[in-house]
Amino acid sequence: MTATQTGGTLRVPARTTAGTSSAARGWRRYRPATFYGFIAPWLAGFVLLTLFPLGYALWLSTTNYDGMTGRYRYVGLDNYTAIASDPDALHALARTGLYTLGTVPLSIAFGLLLAVLLNQQIRARGAFRALIYLPAVVPIVGSALCFKMLFNADFGAVNAVIGLVGIPPVDWLSDPGVFVVLVAVTLWGVGASMIISLSGLQGIPRELQEAARVDGAGAWQVFSKITLPLLSPIILFQVITGIIGSVQGFVAPLLLTASSGTASVTSVPQSTYLYMIHVYAQYFAYGRFGYASALLWVLFVLILLLTVVIFRVSARAVFYENAPDTPTRRRRTRETPEVTR
Amino acid sequence: MGATLTRRRLLAGAAGAAAAAALGGCGTDDPNTLVVMGNNPAEVTDQDVAEFVHAHPGVTVKFVAVDQSLLTAMFAAGNPPDLVRDQGVNNTPYLVARDLAENLDPYFARSTALSVDKLAPANDVWRYDGSRQGSGPRYGLVKDYSQDAMFWCNTTVFDAAGVDLPSTTEPIDYDEWLDLARRLTKRNGAQYRTYGLVPPFDNSLSAGFINMVSSAGGSIFSEDFSTVDFSSPEAAAALRWYLTYAADQVGSTVARPLPAGSSPTFSADQLAMLGYGYWFSGLVSADDTLAKDVMFFPAPRFGPKRTSPCLAGTGFWIPKRAKHKDLAWAFCEHYFGGPPATRRAQSGWGLPGITSLLSDLPSDKPYQRQALGVQKTELDHFSVLDFSPYVAYTALDASLSQQLRKGIEAGLPAGKVADLINDTLNPLLKLGKELVS
Repeated sequence: MTATQTGGTLRVPARTTAGTSSAARGWRRYRPATFYGFIAPWLAGFVLLTLFPLGYALWLSTTNYDGMTGRYRYVGLDNYTAIASDPDALHALARTGLYTLGTVPLSIAFGLLLAVLLNQQIRARGAFRALIYLPAVVPIVGSALCFKMLFNADFGAVNAVIGLVGIPPVDWLSDPGVFVVLVAVTLWGVGASMIISLSGLQGIPRELQEAARVDGAGAWQVFSKITLPLLSPIILFQVITGIIGSVQGFVAPLLLTASSGTASVTSVPQSTYLYMIHVYAQYFAYGRFGYASALLWVLFVLILLLTVVIFRVSARAVFYENAPDTPTRRRRTRETPEVTR
Repeated sequence: MGATLTRRRLLAGAAGAAAAAALGGCGTDDPNTLVVMGNNPAEVTDQDVAEFVHAHPGVTVKFVAVDQSLLTAMFAAGNPPDLVRDQGVNNTPYLVARDLAENLDPYFARSTALSVDKLAPANDVWRYDGSRQGSGPRYGLVKDYSQDAMFWCNTTVFDAAGVDLPSTTEPIDYDEWLDLARRLTKRNGAQYRTYGLVPPFDNSLSAGFINMVSSAGGSIFSEDFSTVDFSSPEAAAALRWYLTYAADQVGSTVARPLPAGSSPTFSADQLAMLGYGYWFSGLVSADDTLAKDVMFFPAPRFGPKRTSPCLAGTGFWIPKRAKHKDLAWAFCEHYFGGPPATRRAQSGWGLPGITSLLSDLPSDKPYQRQALGVQKTELDHFSVLDFSPYVAYTALDASLSQQLRKGIEAGLPAGKVADLINDTLNPLLKLGKELVS
């Protein structure tokens, strides 16, 4: 099959069956099996690691199961109504919302700023890119423990530095200072956002920016009118994945807590007691498997709703160079095999 | 894979694979494989295992990590381990009420390696008669134990502060203990040079509180263990003591745990008094400098009654639904009554669960002799704490930790904190009672 280009249109010859060999016809019989064979590993993983746990958690959320006792019973929606009267759950949810509102825009903005800087023709650009991306490769366990040492009240470097200018030592790892440390740990991984934005920047055709400059646009206008709109799908992707990651924040607050073991989950200071910490505490410290599963389902539905809302709201703000397929467009493409450049 | 593989069959196959994997768990049907949820090689050494395997040719011992979520999953899959490491003090009534643990009395009756009369009284923490802990059938054994409300002093910190050491024969009371801590704490705002005290709450907050309340002659539980009352005079006094201790900022609290942990801080001469039991002697033996600077003391008294319980009683139990219970018991005979028990006693990491092994405890160094002397006297005051069968001790600890933290941060009075704890725990106890009744 070959394509010919005439003007701005790429013409693809329609497929014919006239010359199809019997071997190809024979192979076609196996196409469904081949398809399912290739997707089977993903499908098994999806069923095993996503669908089954989701269904299991939904079922658990309607019981009073405590994790060990076989004699549990159906309680209907009691666990869901209990959430509304659980101040710890509501506070944790609100706190998680604040944490998300604070860290997601900051991460994306810093990442974009760094990406723009590292997209310039500067000396040792590769080295800078690698250095800034490096913290994102370090596991969160490593970076959180490093921050814990840096912010240690008794022998941490941060108190030593602020002590030089006469500021009294601060107990960073307790309330309310620990929230600052958590935000710092989160932003430390800004290299991940930077690398995504950088790849987006490199995909923007230079001729568009150059044309704007020729038309008299300044640097800010080029960035705000050309670069940013073309980068908007990448930013949308980061917003959605960032929100999902933030509302599931768990490891960093736990690691910043001084104690260890199951009890540590309830020693997490109030200002970093995020929603998932509360869920974990309900599961494994309190043994309320039914209630904790209800908490998880509420979070799952909230994330779904939030994602839908963001997609709807962003529909006007996000610019797609190649608009997503619409049913009309798909139908036309099938009937007329040509792609407009 | 042929052309007959349809979407429906594929989905059904995937669902089947998921169900099989979910129900498979980690246990095994192999009659020669013993699945142990334990710490290997830290607590069950490779030598312990090798000796057992040598005596039982063809047997394999498979370890799985000690993890509550894994244990839950294995039970849910109907495939529990054959032996589970656990704390008898806080868990026995909970396990027995849920019919999870095997009654070991018939195994003792036919055993030649382990007999009840050889067991140290601390093994009673693994007994439960359906209403009280400490009597009735045995459901587990302690690998070693300590009277964990006792404490260690770092004499270097005492000398530096010019403070006299407490008596090694008569227990001080909790208020005197707090006063000592105040005099030993040296800090500049949030930055500490030395901490005064870490009370015996590191292992379990609830066990520490139950001990204090018991010393004052009360109980946090109602007679039938179906409710808690932290507003009772004895429990409120214990809460008040903790809140005062936290307000005085003399040591580790739930709101401000020691940044480096208790043992390292004590070893670094930055903590004066550490509420750990005899087992800490094993850790000290590895540090010659620290060994010259430590002394061991009797458990402080909170009320008129002198109590010195074990707050953990770590050992093993056999799940009722385990597949290889006889093999698990054979391992128990070896581990609790054979050479591994002797080696553990000789290491000093806790008192032996077999009384005759007391003579194997180390006494070469001066600190070991001092600690052993105090410990032997303390044995007369051993007692078993009461826990409720209706709630896991992790929930007790979690509630105490969360509500005390709120109390400390908001400066709440003990009565308000007691109400918060009662409001969190009583619904859980009600649910637990409903589940096991």
